Amino acid sequence: MRLVRSEFLKIRTTNVWWLFALGAVGLLVVAFAANALNMHFVLQPPTEAGQTMDPEQAAVLKALADPVALTSYMVTSGQYFGLMFVMLLGIITVTNEFHHQTATTTFLATPHRTSVIVAKAVAGGIFGIVLWLVTTALTVPATAIFLESEGITPVLGDSEVIRAVLLNGLAYALWALIGIGIGVLIRSQIGATITAMVVYTVGTAAVSIIVNLLVTALDWDWLANVQWAMPSLASNLMTSGANLPGQPAYWVGALVLVGWAVVTGLVGTLLTRSRDIS
Amino acid sequence: MLPRLRARAVSPAREAVIGPGEDPAVVLAAEGAPQHSHRRRVEPEPVAGHDSQWWNRDGIAMAVLAPAKHTVRMGNVITDGEIVVSGLTKHYKQVKAVDGLSFTIKPGRVTGFLGPNGAGKTTTLRMILNLVSPNAGTATIGGSRYADLAEPLRAVGAVLEASSAHKGRTGRNHLRVICAAAGLPASRADEAMELVGLTPAAKRKFKGYSLGMRQRLGIAAAMLGDPRVLILDEPANGLDPEGIRWMRDLLQKLAGEGRTILVSSHLLSEMELLADDVVIIAAGRLVAQGPVAEVMGNAGNVGTVRVRTPHPDTLLGALDGVGSSRGDDGALVLTGVTAEQVGDAALRAGVAIHELVTERPDLERVFLDLTAGKEAIR
Ligand SMILES: Nc1ncnc2c1ncn2[C@@H]1O[C@H](COP(=O)(O)OP(=O)(O)OP(=O)(O)O)[C@@H](O)[C@H]1O
Ligand SMILES: [Mg+2]
Repeated sequence: MRLVRSEFLKIRTTNVWWLFALGAVGLLVVAFAANALNMHFVLQPPTEAGQTMDPEQAAVLKALADPVALTSYMVTSGQYFGLMFVMLLGIITVTNEFHHQTATTTFLATPHRTSVIVAKAVAGGIFGIVLWLVTTALTVPATAIFLESEGITPVLGDSEVIRAVLLNGLAYALWALIGIGIGVLIRSQIGATITAMVVYTVGTAAVSIIVNLLVTALDWDWLANVQWAMPSLASNLMTSGANLPGQPAYWVGALVLVGWAVVTGLVGTLLTRSRDIS
Repeated sequence: MLPRLRARAVSPAREAVIGPGEDPAVVLAAEGAPQHSHRRRVEPEPVAGHDSQWWNRDGIAMAVLAPAKHTVRMGNVITDGEIVVSGLTKHYKQVKAVDGLSFTIKPGRVTGFLGPNGAGKTTTLRMILNLVSPNAGTATIGGSRYADLAEPLRAVGAVLEASSAHKGRTGRNHLRVICAAAGLPASRADEAMELVGLTPAAKRKFKGYSLGMRQRLGIAAAMLGDPRVLILDEPANGLDPEGIRWMRDLLQKLAGEGRTILVSSHLLSEMELLADDVVIIAAGRLVAQGPVAEVMGNAGNVGTVRVRTPHPDTLLGALDGVGSSRGDDGALVLTGVTAEQVGDAALRAGVAIHELVTERPDLERVFLDLTAGKEAIR
């Protein structure tokens, strides 16, 4: 417990946390606006576009236009950048120890390195959840206002919406763990942050594109499912709320994400335990 | 959370375990204390409100570190604090950094840990502290491995090179983070800052600290838990003359309280002033260990008498069985006699003496002799 307090103090006594929180909230506003615009066109499709739409796309749009899906989609706005910042914070809590050479001090105070990693995971997870609480507190009223203005009754009390919101919180916590795992695997601060951000942004898109290309080229439909192994797509899937056509169920995403967090965390912990600190 | 016990409240239990008779300071006195200790081994001054000398040893810490109101839990306090290194070995890819090293560091004394660059000092200290894992051998502090200490910071304080703080964190917050991890009250951070004279810079960020200030912060961190064992790797690095002297006084005082002090350094003249014992290593192996005087004696360097006279041959004739050689400036360098004997002989022979000094070998000479021929940087 006191280790978690110490880790929190570490986060609190530097500038990073509020810079990240500010960044996440700022981008949340942008993301919410973009999503609102997007949904505005889903709800009022320009007539010509509606006619040329292929049936599958139409089905997706129809599913999205459902008030439950719509509400979960809007309420979980800002997830993309929020998760990225949580991951970065997780990375930094670990790489800071090497970057600023405080690992010596830390492991002198706590020779049981596993406990240090666990404390970091707990502190990072709590930071993620706090950030989730803040974003949700902002998106809930905003969603209500937006949907009212579109003439749709928001279904914030719906069980599927609540599930999506809660799973979103889980995603925030899990991404902190993934960040910590990455930080332990790649000790260089710059190396770890850049790798993670590239994989998170470009990598995710690249995997989607490659998989889709392969699916069209080889006609192997099952291949499409490979992309859900990407943690960012998996967390998207997990919090989508409604089951959109052509996508696996939400819990598949949850499992994939938990898997990533556990694997990176375990491998990282094992490495840390045996590593020389000098 | 720790049970809230007062430091003093647990000490009777400790007394029951070792008893005042085995107080290292007392044992030292009983053994007739080695030659070096007369320089300072001053009995701690009684602290008001404590009834026996035994308390004073702990009481001193409070005098040094301001009133220590923090709690100390029994069971993790190292009672004897002896450091035992046995067969310690560490290979890196190309080098055997430490090669079957064994030595013992006694409590109540300052032990200098010496060796040329790359001898393996830092590696050894890091292995003792469980930061580097040895390929073979063990290191224990007060009988247990560092990793097995329940409250390591209350037992052992360490200042290592390449230990640092987050650049954007204030010195005080750096210490508070450690306090939180070790279950010490945050007020200890301020007390330790005060101890090392950093209070004026407490709220400044670490990146603005000078080298000496950083070193002081490291020492403050080591003192947070009021530890019984202190391990310092080149602590004088970057300290000003006043700071070096302050540290010497502090370490000697702490050793006088029965604590174990192991300190590596390249400043041999400083070490000669500071250390009671030395452990000298080269190329990862032990070269010499023991009390400073003994190590210097064993090195076959018992001291010489330098004498300048216009009639060296007459003087030599008056002294028989004395080894002699000529110094660069024409002075005689005599071995196997005392200055008194030389003076008396000169008087008897009626030779004038222009200079008569006893030259003791210094630690630097001995060190260079002992480590000569050993491959240095590997
Ligand atoms: N992490 C490491 N990887 C590879 N070699 C290392 C590592 N750490 C130390 N060494 C090697 O081990 C040997 C001992 O190094 P160490 O730092 O213990 O010496 P030292 O006695 O502290 O020297 P100095 O007086 O210069 O501080 C050196 O040859 C060094 O090159
Ligand atoms: Mg060194």
